[in-house]
Amino acid sequence: MPASALEQDVAEVLIDEATLQAKVAELGALISADYEGRQVTLVSVLKGALPFMADLMRAISIAVRIDLMEVSSYGSGTESSGRVRILKDLSSSIEDKHVLIVEDIIDTGLTLNYLTQYLGGKQPASLGICTLLDKPARRLVEIDLDYRGFEIPDRFVIGYGLDYDEIYRNLPYIGVLRPEVYEGA
Amino acid sequence: MTGTPRFAHASEAELARILDYYKVEWQYEPRTFPIRWNAEGMVTESFAPDFYLPELDMYLELTTLKQSLVRKKNRKLRYLRELYPMIRIKLFYARDFKALMLKYGRLDAAASLIGIEGQPPPKKTVATAVEEADVSAA
Repeated sequence: MPASALEQDVAEVLIDEATLQAKVAELGALISADYEGRQVTLVSVLKGALPFMADLMRAISIAVRIDLMEVSSYGSGTESSGRVRILKDLSSSIEDKHVLIVEDIIDTGLTLNYLTQYLGGKQPASLGICTLLDKPARRLVEIDLDYRGFEIPDRFVIGYGLDYDEIYRNLPYIGVLRPEVYEGA
Repeated sequence: MTGTPRFAHASEAELARILDYYKVEWQYEPRTFPIRWNAEGMVTESFAPDFYLPELDMYLELTTLKQSLVRKKNRKLRYLRELYPMIRIKLFYARDFKALMLKYGRLDAAASLIGIEGQPPPKKTVATAVEEADVSAA
């Protein structure tokens, strides 16, 4: 599907590419200053946070390690009686390391709540959270955020890693999905 | 939690499954809060939030029913917050539930879960008895 066809499903651009990149640079500078003299391990949660992770790590000026995790999600493809599972675990130990979880969006906080408990059990020296987007209206579990790019309204957003039914991740901005797309699904 | 309670609504059962999935401990209607009293000091109205999440020390009330009942629920919530300011409670409306279902790719299920009874409740709480009385009187 060409980008123009994808864009037909975008009701509006919520955060354009330039604004996104400026915020990523700002977050990178903040993280570089806060972790100066220490090495930080960025842990990105697949798949949505990939573009943000790729840009953020290049906006950080101190030494960083990166690692990737993938966590199962409730809903399609999972049995309703199931429990959250680690689909891809860390590649190396984070014991005594300074760890920063890099997320694309936090809404209910359920996945992140699970993840912080899981990673906290691995005895990191510190555990922080950096999210590009925060949708507090949907919060079920309160989470303390260390870095937050944008607080966004309660709308279904796509692009820059965020998907609907695994599509739209490659849009270079954050857009609002037309309701007709999912209501007609 | 051990054993599955009989939920009043199918949407509550679905929310319990989501909480279970993400390993968030919950209790179903564990506490009833008196919110109105008559001149003799007898409780005339109470509120039993649907879920209590002990690890988070927070109550969740799921309101996916018709608008008249939502207004009633909002009023009860206002009394609860005035009388028990230390209680943390979040009201989850039909639109919140629908968004949750959309997030998990189960929007098709949302329509069938909102506004219907899933299973009969195990017992009538003071809150539901009062609410039913209010509705029948309306």
